[in-house]
Amino acid sequence: MPKPTWFKLLLVSLIPILVALLAACEDEEQSPATATATPTTTPQATLTPASLTFMAGFKPQANLPFVGAYVAQEKGFFQEQGLTVDIKHSRTSGEEFRFLVAGNAQITTADASVVLERRSGDPAVPVVAFALIGQTGQQGFAVLADSGIETPKDWEGKTAGYKGSKPTPDYLAILDAAGVDRSKIQEVRVGFEPQVLTEKKVDVLAVFLSNEPDTLGRLGYQVRTFDPADYGVPTLGLTYATSESYLQEHPDIVQRFLKAALKGIYYAKENPDEAIDIVLRYAPGEDREHQRFMFETELAAALAGDAQENGIGWMTAQQWQALYDMLQRYQALSGPLADLSAAYSDQALRNIYTNGQLQWP
Amino acid sequence: MTEVPLHEPWEPLALAPPRWNGTLRAVAAYVLPPTVALAIGLLSWEVWTRARDISILLVPPPSRVIDRFLDRPGFFLGEGMTTLYEALLGLALGAAVAIAAAVLMAHSRLAERALFPLAILVKVTPVVAVAPLLVIWFGFGLWPKVCVAALISFFPFLVNSITGFRSVNPGAMEFVQSLRASPLDVFLKLRAPSALPYLFAALKVSLPLSLIGAVVAEWFSGDKGLGLVIFTANYQLDTPTLFAAIAVLAVIGVSLNIGASLLERRVLFWHEAFREQG
Repeated sequence: MPKPTWFKLLLVSLIPILVALLAACEDEEQSPATATATPTTTPQATLTPASLTFMAGFKPQANLPFVGAYVAQEKGFFQEQGLTVDIKHSRTSGEEFRFLVAGNAQITTADASVVLERRSGDPAVPVVAFALIGQTGQQGFAVLADSGIETPKDWEGKTAGYKGSKPTPDYLAILDAAGVDRSKIQEVRVGFEPQVLTEKKVDVLAVFLSNEPDTLGRLGYQVRTFDPADYGVPTLGLTYATSESYLQEHPDIVQRFLKAALKGIYYAKENPDEAIDIVLRYAPGEDREHQRFMFETELAAALAGDAQENGIGWMTAQQWQALYDMLQRYQALSGPLADLSAAYSDQALRNIYTNGQLQWP
Repeated sequence: MTEVPLHEPWEPLALAPPRWNGTLRAVAAYVLPPTVALAIGLLSWEVWTRARDISILLVPPPSRVIDRFLDRPGFFLGEGMTTLYEALLGLALGAAVAIAAAVLMAHSRLAERALFPLAILVKVTPVVAVAPLLVIWFGFGLWPKVCVAALISFFPFLVNSITGFRSVNPGAMEFVQSLRASPLDVFLKLRAPSALPYLFAALKVSLPLSLIGAVVAEWFSGDKGLGLVIFTANYQLDTPTLFAAIAVLAVIGVSLNIGASLLERRVLFWHEAFREQG
């Protein structure tokens, strides 16, 4: 856990003032703790200037954690937190973690399951998630709407395409949850081209729910999607993550980054058109409507579950435990983790939220 | 008119094949220097990673890579054989098409002007861009990998074959033509032998390229091969496995090149380059 700093002590001392301000609020009907509320403004503290590199875990696009950083940069939220942030993007899988380890980047984004997988790897990657933006997993499964496939049970006798090196645990979990006989499915490894579905090379395709369904729709193919979360599979989505050492040495900077990025997400939520404009500055040439689809899909996932009451990014030990158990059950981890709680830290979240309200600045 | 055999002053059949001690010397000449250089390189690498305490996530020490290989040698070699099989099939396909096209182009400037730009188009097309499409066109089996390996092997064979088929000794050509030899005879007796050194050069360039092609293709589909091992290890930051797979790939590539060089010496023993070496 990060050690207390002068900044946190200052923040703690401001809480009574904040409570008094809230109590004096005239609007008695306003919910005291809703994620939809505009971040609460508190007196500005003196912040030590700091610089860091944020490496988004993929190309520039409207993944919600990316949007938060883009908006925070363009609207000056990072600057208000005394941060100079260099935003970069990973071009190859795993590159962002290497940058973290090498100290060339300080904060990145990572799927929650990837955080656990990397920590259980040999060699283990000392990465720590400090906010859970996607309350449900990114991956789902798509079939052509006219394929006659209505339920996972209908996948039997069909060909399923998976990405990566092997079928993912959420795929295996959805089969179990729906009582599907896996031996009756032909599984093939595919790339990232959704045309394998439209060309009927596969009948079921693993997709990123905020991406390929819209892409396929734009190609003129209506699809039916299956979200593992709908079948009770405890998946989680993208996190903000950093290295263990950086979190231990600079908890205040991590906290200030998170506060600004979350303010960016809330700003984007209230101003989606402007947010997409900002995204397109980072991702020129991308289709506006597609980016909008991605943003709205991921925003909905960010406002699900505990985040509804506690604020975007919130996470609990129960969520991580359920994910860990699922990954272990389907042998997605190289081995058991000695200390699951070391994989995530909610300290920054607890410091910057009060009753579900993001404290600003 | 009396039939005159088409023998040149440097006719290969006139010379005896090299003795085996010559072959052993050749093996030593090819194997020893890189082995020593590799040993020095690995030792320096090991010392550097330990002295600088380099994270294994960034650069693994060679000892860890060797350990990882020795943990599962059958796995790495099995995956390597898959990749080798795909690469050699692709190389054969690419070479066959390239040589056929080169025969046509060597005999016709018009054909060369028409086809060579297309060949350059193939050359400059990034295989990583077409590999996913090949999966869609040809499915998830062997063919996408073979096609990528063939595409990447094609151009070196084409260019070298055209040059080789045209690099005929003018005096020999005049002599053969004076004998009213058929085009097939000219090709078989003159052009093909003249092209052999160029074809071996193309082979030595294309062998490692075909391996790279197979590896790249394996990133996009399939459930076997060193490409998949590299893809997965890179994603998982498993650098010892990543480097072990690369090392296996390198050994395969170097072995193929040595094999090609030895074959070249045996086939082209009549060539002045090898005659001088004894």
